[in-house]
Amino acid sequence: MANQKEIRDPIHNFIRLDPSEIKALDSAPFQRLRNIHQLALTYLLYPGATHRRFEHSLGVMELAGRVYDVVTDQSNVKHDSVKDVIPYDLIKYWRRTLRMAALCHDLGHLPFSHAAESHLLPDGWDHERLTMQFIRSDEMKPIWDSLKVNPEDVAKLAVGPEHYKERSFSDWEAILSEIIAGGAFGVDRIDYLLRDSYHIGAAYGRFDHYRLIDTLRILPREYRSSEQEPGSLEPTLGVEEGGLHSAEALLLARYFMFSQVYCHHVRRIYDIHLMDFLQAWLPGGQFSTCAEDLLMITDNEVTSGLLAAARDVSHPAHVHARRVVGREHFRLLYQRNPVDQDTNLRSSQRIFDAARDRFGDSEVRYDSYRQKSGGLDFPVLVKDKRIMSSLSLSDTLARVPLVAVDYVFVSLGCRKKADIWLKENRKEIIASKGDEDE
Amino acid sequence: MMKKSQRDAVLLSLVREMVARGSWCGETHIQKAAYFLQALLGVPLEFDFILYKHGPFSFDLSYEITALRADALLRYQTRPYPYGPSIVPTDEGRSFLDSYPKTLKRYADQISFVAGKLGNMGVADLERLATALYVTLNQDGQSGPRAEQIPLLKPHISLEEADLAVRRVDEIMGEARDLRISTS
Repeated sequence: MANQKEIRDPIHNFIRLDPSEIKALDSAPFQRLRNIHQLALTYLLYPGATHRRFEHSLGVMELAGRVYDVVTDQSNVKHDSVKDVIPYDLIKYWRRTLRMAALCHDLGHLPFSHAAESHLLPDGWDHERLTMQFIRSDEMKPIWDSLKVNPEDVAKLAVGPEHYKERSFSDWEAILSEIIAGGAFGVDRIDYLLRDSYHIGAAYGRFDHYRLIDTLRILPREYRSSEQEPGSLEPTLGVEEGGLHSAEALLLARYFMFSQVYCHHVRRIYDIHLMDFLQAWLPGGQFSTCAEDLLMITDNEVTSGLLAAARDVSHPAHVHARRVVGREHFRLLYQRNPVDQDTNLRSSQRIFDAARDRFGDSEVRYDSYRQKSGGLDFPVLVKDKRIMSSLSLSDTLARVPLVAVDYVFVSLGCRKKADIWLKENRKEIIASKGDEDE
Repeated sequence: MMKKSQRDAVLLSLVREMVARGSWCGETHIQKAAYFLQALLGVPLEFDFILYKHGPFSFDLSYEITALRADALLRYQTRPYPYGPSIVPTDEGRSFLDSYPKTLKRYADQISFVAGKLGNMGVADLERLATALYVTLNQDGQSGPRAEQIPLLKPHISLEEADLAVRRVDEIMGEARDLRISTS
């Protein structure tokens, strides 16, 4: 298309925008993402992980457009109930709105994409609310006007039904928000898995996303849950049978990336130390929610603050900064494992409580993560036109593990004695069962 | 306020009871049963329900169900075509419940009531009934008759089906009155 701008990208080759879309790209809230690392401090253990939210957001926009074109192509609408869901009279409007929502979906991220935002923002605020604030800002309004899109539609699709509470989602809007952040096939996840694995140098995050996207379809989840009644006609994203193996590969890639990269214990403890630093460094221990203030603070300003505090022994955040800058992070004492889980489901918590009693609150940290998004059960259109559950067709999907980690960390100073202490007391601590029902 | 582990025990107990009452117990069944337990009977699960998939839906609850599967307390049970998967407690999940006798005793009547009312329902029935309860509990006095609101929110539900669902919800609300837990 004439006047299209092409941006080279290592994952998608070219990302294309038309001139009116470039105005969104050039806006201050979007340019800020050039200075927000996609994976926070992960570059301290995977040196290649220096990529930013900026290129990820471009990738999400590119993929959202590709998926939209596939699922709305009339030759790909294979079920009668879906035909009424797609508003073909507004097909260009919704394509543009979806691409802009995808581009803007991460605008509100705090510096270092910080996951502990509940501690670093006032009550009631999270990065999704900040994202909506940027989309609705006076700065962005003329851009939406020139694009002829309703900013509320952009905000709605950008943050999805979990965070946009003002109005309920129509079936069509639910599908569009699923294209961005859906549990199984959201392009946000497709892009970050591919991009993160590329930068980290871990091949297990890759999968055949070309094949997967070509086979995505809007399908009703019509398989049944009782003998008496037919299944649901509510539409969702599914795949044609030919894409099932690519879907399996995506969900396995997610498992490997979460278990080996995103939940790597050193990455997790750096996140905790960074949160401690930010609470000591920020005025009042929290980020401002004012858009103008947020535009002024990125990873660059925080990194500068970290370095200054690490050099200044009198700085109130000095200890926390040194743990990051000097790599004096807490070391892993214990992690959840199946053998101990068989004895006591709360073995990690027991070890943490006992270690804290023994070494003191300031020397021990606990971290826990459970996978939130399942996404293993999606409709599959098979060759004879039946729609089946992915789980009834794929033994692989039925066996994809879910990520569950618990870590107990101790300070560098306590490490040796803590290792000896745990070796001597581990069995007894894990066997102890307190009253959980108080 | 319940601790997270106590809330997990209530959820697991609800799933166990639903399965015992013959429920297919896919995620939609658990979502709607938890909605009735919280919104109708006042069990303080503190999930944030919005009107979304098949009626009232909580993302928090969906994440919690996945987390319980990650902890091997719940598991998928796959079924051959034309059926979808069920979610059932594991042996570890059943053992987990042994640690929470006080919590389970406190909410046993409410769990039993919900499982008894919803245990034999399919997804379509649950969607209609839970949406009718949602509309009933969120009336703003300006939206018109409840049965007329439901097809506006869920176009695949007919007015006749909505009317039946509203009447059934009124019956259930009457039966549940003595079981409701006061939040004050």
